[in-house]
Amino acid sequence: MRSPWSDDRAERVLGAVASLVLITIAGMVVFVFAKAWPSFAHNGLGWFGPPGHGSVDDQLTNIFNSPADPRRYVYELGAWPLLWGTLLTTVGAVALGLAISVLAAVFLVEFAPGPIRRVMQPVVRLLAAVPSVIYGLIGILVLVPFVGNHLISLERKQSVLYVVQLSGSSLLVGVLILTVMIVPIMVAIMADALYAVPRTWTEGATALGVNRWRAMWTVSLRAARPAIIAATVLATARALGEAIMLSMVSGSQGFGPNPLDGLTFFLEPTRPLAATIVDNAEGLSVKPFGQTIYAFAAVLLVSTFFLSLGGWAAKQPLKRYGTAG
Amino acid sequence: MRTRMGMACALSGLAIALVPTAASARPAASAASKSVITLSGSTSVAPLAVKLIKTYLRKNSGKVGFKLAQGGSDIGVADVAAGRVSIGDSSRDAKPSDPGGLVFHKIARDAICLATNPANKVGNLSQGQVQDIFSGKIRDWGQVPGATVGGPIDLVVRTPASGTQDAFQKLFLSSAKVFSSAAAKASNGLVAASVKTDKQAVGYLSYAFTSGLNDTAYQGVACNLRTAKAGQYPGSRNFWMVTRGAVSRRSAVGKFIGWVQNNAQAQKIISTEWVPLR
Repeated sequence: MRSPWSDDRAERVLGAVASLVLITIAGMVVFVFAKAWPSFAHNGLGWFGPPGHGSVDDQLTNIFNSPADPRRYVYELGAWPLLWGTLLTTVGAVALGLAISVLAAVFLVEFAPGPIRRVMQPVVRLLAAVPSVIYGLIGILVLVPFVGNHLISLERKQSVLYVVQLSGSSLLVGVLILTVMIVPIMVAIMADALYAVPRTWTEGATALGVNRWRAMWTVSLRAARPAIIAATVLATARALGEAIMLSMVSGSQGFGPNPLDGLTFFLEPTRPLAATIVDNAEGLSVKPFGQTIYAFAAVLLVSTFFLSLGGWAAKQPLKRYGTAG
Repeated sequence: MRTRMGMACALSGLAIALVPTAASARPAASAASKSVITLSGSTSVAPLAVKLIKTYLRKNSGKVGFKLAQGGSDIGVADVAAGRVSIGDSSRDAKPSDPGGLVFHKIARDAICLATNPANKVGNLSQGQVQDIFSGKIRDWGQVPGATVGGPIDLVVRTPASGTQDAFQKLFLSSAKVFSSAAAKASNGLVAASVKTDKQAVGYLSYAFTSGLNDTAYQGVACNLRTAKAGQYPGSRNFWMVTRGAVSRRSAVGKFIGWVQNNAQAQKIISTEWVPLR
């Protein structure tokens, strides 16, 4: 017979495990930055700028084909098209997802009839767990050919002939599928928060004569704002880090879509940072190329950090409102 | 005393977490009766490796096990050099920048075919045309004799680290550079999917992946096994299994590679979609 652990021992063991997690994360950050340093050091702030001449893919090829002599390694890179692609897909999907998921959560909590709610809730949770490669397959087999064959006319293709090729893999498809991927998580979190708003608050509003829609909009949603922010941060993190699906559907070209191109803008291909890492992981063994890939990883790490920080800061002034979040 | 117990618990937890990775990373050196051969690398070699392994296992069941991962020729070469796998698959020849001490065993030859969408029945492309098309000088199918679709050409290529890309550059492009707006895919399968769904697309891929696409002749020679075996097709390349140092003929890895290179049944499997050496 062994006696159960004392609180004292449990505290120490759990503390050891928890600090192990912290040490792992710290080690990872140090490792990635140490690996990435030569790429940043060589390019300076130009790293974040546009690629001087040629495209960012040309630059990556040159880095990959560096001579074997370490003194003649090529590092020249302007990663702006990749950063811009990351920004476009992430912001596009999160903005679209936010609008859809707020409305869906309100419907689910306040308006949905019982049977629909009982079906919808587990389905939403299930959708949140679908692996991204499945979304990628649907994209590449259904959406990309559809966009390529029906939405892109020959004239449109010809108009950008020497700049970029439009084949259906596009910003549009990437953002749409990314939205579908992040909406379930957002709906689940927001619905939980809306359920947690004390019944008496909305009942108070109803007693004052407003209808359910207005009570929802003015009371419940306001109270749930911290949860909405939390959901947005989580969704942004997923969108930022999504690699496989975007590598499959968004175009495989390091091109920065140009908003001045009008409607063509949405049909232009792009390749965000995470997708670039996946696509090029084959070349890690070539030293300068590997260091460049680690530099992409470092930028992603830093942006996730600032994302969490931003989410935390945005929640602070809202603390006094709700119970949720 | 209590502290030490706590630390011990935490450490043993860590050790358990590490064991599976360490085990899967170690090459076939285990003293157990059944040795496991691990392979990683080229996505072009992978389908051939799978077929060979299946037959080899049927004949040697219980004596040997296999683990196959993909990732690309460079991954295979790097993995075997670091001792993470017993065999690295490579669809490119040895490069001067490769780590020292590696032995490249040639196992087969493969043809790289130019492929277009089935709707576009281009019959033949000369080396000059291939260079002009892939470097972006010719951007419209109207300028390509024999094309049965019109409109801009969509180029589908491979990422820089791929063995197929390396071989294509050497065998087809020589000094020409791939047009910067070409879509660079990470595997043969993704190239096939893109060309299959896009009428204006042209790409290149290993012969084993060309079903359902329009194979285009290169320099007047059709891309098929007959021309590749006869040595007529100019776009063919070598497949390699790479080991760290020479392998003994009696080790599990040596036996497997020897079987692949010499056994009649293995040669027959290779000749289904690739070119056997003998």
